[in-house]
Amino acid sequence: MTPLTLTADATGPSRARRTAWVPTLVLILGALYCLVPIAWVIIAATKDRSELFSTFSFAPGTGLLQNLSDLTAYRDGIYWQWMANSAFYAGFGALLSAAVSAAGGYALGRYSFRGREAVFKLILAGVLVPGIVLAVPQYLLLSKMGLADSYWSMLLPSILSPYGVYLVRIYAAASVPTELMEAARMDGASEWRIFSRIAVPMMMPGLITVFLFQFVGIWNNFLLPYVMLADDTKFPITLGLYTLLAQGASQPALYTLVITGCLLAILPLIALFLVIQRFWSLDLLSGSIKS
Amino acid sequence: MTSAPLKGSDRVEVGPLADGTGTAPSVRPSSPRRRGRSAPYWFLAPTLTLFAAFTVIPIGYAVWLSLHKVQVKGIGLGKGARAEVWNGFGNYADVLNNSEFGHSVLRAFGYGLIVIPTMLGLALVFALMLDTPKARSASFARLMIFLPYAVPGIIAALMWGFLYLPAVSPFYYLLDKFGLPEPDLFNGGNLYLSFANIAVWGGTGFNMIVIYTALRAIPQEIYEAARIDGASDLRIALSIKIPIVMPSLVLTFFFSVIATLQVFTEPMALKPLTNNLQSTWSPLMAIYDSAFLKSDIYGASATAVVLALATFVLSFTLLRISDRYTREDRA
Amino acid sequence: MLAGAAALGLTSTLAACGGSDDKDSGDSSGPVKLTYWSWAPNMEKVAAIWNKKNPDITVTVSKQASGAEIVSKLITAKKAGNAPDLIQAEYQSLPTLVSNDVLADISQYVKDAKSEFAEGAWKMVTLGTDAVYGVPQDSAPLMFYYREDLFKQHGLSVPKTWTEFAEVARAAKKAAPDAYLTTFSSNDPGLFAGLAQQAGGQWWTVDGGGKWTVGIDDAGTQQVAEFWGGLVQEGVIDNQPMYTPAWNQALNKGTHLAWISAVWAPGVLVSSAPDTKGKWRMAPLPQWKSGDNVTGSWGGSSTGVSSDSKHAEAAAKFARWINTDPEALAALVKYPAVYPAATKGQSGDILTTPEFFSNQADFYTTAAEIAATAAPSAWGPNVQTAYTAFQDGFGSATKAKKEAQFLSALSTMQSKTFDDMKKQGFEVTEA
Repeated sequence: MTPLTLTADATGPSRARRTAWVPTLVLILGALYCLVPIAWVIIAATKDRSELFSTFSFAPGTGLLQNLSDLTAYRDGIYWQWMANSAFYAGFGALLSAAVSAAGGYALGRYSFRGREAVFKLILAGVLVPGIVLAVPQYLLLSKMGLADSYWSMLLPSILSPYGVYLVRIYAAASVPTELMEAARMDGASEWRIFSRIAVPMMMPGLITVFLFQFVGIWNNFLLPYVMLADDTKFPITLGLYTLLAQGASQPALYTLVITGCLLAILPLIALFLVIQRFWSLDLLSGSIKS
Repeated sequence: MTSAPLKGSDRVEVGPLADGTGTAPSVRPSSPRRRGRSAPYWFLAPTLTLFAAFTVIPIGYAVWLSLHKVQVKGIGLGKGARAEVWNGFGNYADVLNNSEFGHSVLRAFGYGLIVIPTMLGLALVFALMLDTPKARSASFARLMIFLPYAVPGIIAALMWGFLYLPAVSPFYYLLDKFGLPEPDLFNGGNLYLSFANIAVWGGTGFNMIVIYTALRAIPQEIYEAARIDGASDLRIALSIKIPIVMPSLVLTFFFSVIATLQVFTEPMALKPLTNNLQSTWSPLMAIYDSAFLKSDIYGASATAVVLALATFVLSFTLLRISDRYTREDRA
Repeated sequence: MLAGAAALGLTSTLAACGGSDDKDSGDSSGPVKLTYWSWAPNMEKVAAIWNKKNPDITVTVSKQASGAEIVSKLITAKKAGNAPDLIQAEYQSLPTLVSNDVLADISQYVKDAKSEFAEGAWKMVTLGTDAVYGVPQDSAPLMFYYREDLFKQHGLSVPKTWTEFAEVARAAKKAAPDAYLTTFSSNDPGLFAGLAQQAGGQWWTVDGGGKWTVGIDDAGTQQVAEFWGGLVQEGVIDNQPMYTPAWNQALNKGTHLAWISAVWAPGVLVSSAPDTKGKWRMAPLPQWKSGDNVTGSWGGSSTGVSSDSKHAEAAAKFARWINTDPEALAALVKYPAVYPAATKGQSGDILTTPEFFSNQADFYTTAAEIAATAAPSAWGPNVQTAYTAFQDGFGSATKAKKEAQFLSALSTMQSKTFDDMKKQGFEVTEA
């Protein structure tokens, strides 16, 4: 179960041999397929209003700077507020999520206690409940606590990640040796100390994975903010772009702004992937769904 | 009103061990290693508290809502014209008698029949190709194919939506140039393909990485031995690699099925572009329609509970099958 | 640069996280704080004028997604006791909101504002009762927009009646085979409702005995459905939905020669069809009987006060100000670009000819004349059910291009709406 990075040299211990053309071709076709829409959005973001619908899709336009300044000017720069909100929800939420998953998964993976399997299965079953089932009751309950339409209403429900707990459990079982824990106990270390000083560093690649999944999950979440938030200065980017797109009948969708906004909204995620990939481990049991 | 949040934070400190788990807190004074015994519960406390607060209680509330309805009196205007009343299983009867909901479930399955084999098939092929020692530009391709995972579903659907429209699409431009027939991507069966393509685009990379990672965990010596025996790359892939990554395939399949039943973003984002899409095209759209457009949270809750139960049944069946495969892996 | 911006936002976000408790600051001391849910662009600029003049009552605008979604959100918020003080509510959602007890009766504060509005507009906010559930904000009378240049080029004349409209549609198709006069969109029930109003359709009515009548499948509406279904079947009217990139392009490239829309159309055309500036002209809607002079409405909204508001009087004061004060009306025209419902907002120099229609200097004079002929609309408490049924039923009908299906879609729309009301417990009959 070696940690593995996305750009790790794929060839391994290389023996110089002739290129295998079929696999190479298949991979390049796959890469192109995945790139087409992204290339389109990059090009479309350079077009001004009239070019967007009148020029060939893959012909670059002349309006990128104008689009950027329009987007920045839109409602006094609320777009950047949405970006900052998304960064806050996703970053802080994923951090808390990784912390909670670390403790929970560690407990499930490294201790045997009564009810362990029951608890684990129960939490795992949480994956199966569609978000839409929970959203409205969550809203009504948070409202009763006076927390609806606050930053908390977006953060709190995002912290628990059943999948994160599951992943850390697997990871803890595989990467934290029992002998080491026992040895530390003999030396009189407290359970908390063992967890924080020994287990957490050893589980770090797994925790980074949890952080990333949860970051992407929260960044891409639409339903929760849609239900929870009313004040548009608290909107994350997905909901903000949606309101830009879903104008009323008397207001046309602001396509150029939406497209430029889309491009800018995916850039941080792509950048995050590129930067963090060297730390990122996806072990063989991972499997997740984007919601 | 102001005391509510306080109460909430109290529970984090005191209640979590006993709450929501169904298992007794085992802080037994007689235990020789009291500290070590209670440790797992303390570590689990935040998880369980959050699970209780944001999963168990909301589900309970949803069930409660699903058993009620609003009763209107007279013309229903003015204060007190509406009352929340007990409805027993009335909402459930409505859901099960509603042919539209049944159709939406069937459509979701039809869509899944296209998406899942294509997506996992492509993911497997790409993963095997990545794992071929002589393939060029593998790391570039790997990154590119994975990239769509970073794109929010709603934005992906939007981008493809533009690419599907004859008026703006480069594909139609090319078809037109070469005088080829131009299919209507929003018509009948093509609709399924159009949605499926978006899901495949977004999901292949992730599944590819999962399978590929499993492949990389196989010791290289196995291949060396096979090669010495004269096995081709194709032969190695088919008879060694695929069986070994089977558990990962089963797992990705399991998650894909759940995602399929919950298909929502793609049809929702494309609905305004066409007159071919029913407001209850997928089960989640039906729930959205009653909860967020018709403001009937009672009926929506009942539909949601039915869908969640169906997902549970399906998942546990699949989980049982997958357990058979993964057990040997874990042992 | 991006990271810097994000970090900057983050600190302010964190700071805000601490004390988001301003909901409870409803003491009598200090300024009254009101929240206002609106989807109109730039509404906050109008509120800023008020805030400057009234330091004791500050209004904060929260921008929402429009249409049906705001209604559900309001009803859920009301259930949780969180509804904002002020609400921008479309006329067609007023009965739904009133029925869910979201809107407060503010007649005691705004009763005497009645004289500021045309009778039809005021009727919309009273729902025919003694109560007043909002102050009318904008009207949206239907009109006929057409490409003056293309009409001239193809030798088409502006239709005065729907019969002429059908002939123009055929002639246009003949003159320009790639083009259509316009489209019938199954995604826009609001427009269909407006056309039905013109034909005398009364979808929901309350009789004296306290009973609703659902009349969606009435003679007037049937006439409209049959007319459009016939033209779509004939292939002279397009069947694609509006408000899509493809539709924008059709307008921009001139493959749609006309558009039936409301007074707010210039604002849409500016961004949908930027290349066609100065090429459009507006005329009254074609009539069913020549010599008639009546139109319907597509959209329009009011400002209501929620029943959750602790400051109903202050909120009502604002609702009245924003929709009747000359300075506010001027700002409404300037920033959110609405067509005011107040009579004094429809005349005088508040309204300047839209730049996009610089070729039609009397745009708003004509608009005011048309506005005066708007038929009253009759909305009920489950408009959304009817609208969804419209989209589903007419969606397959337009796709199939079958006139008969237009009519059966209409009767399905009727029965679904009626059944839904019956199920909810309303006293209701069918027309």
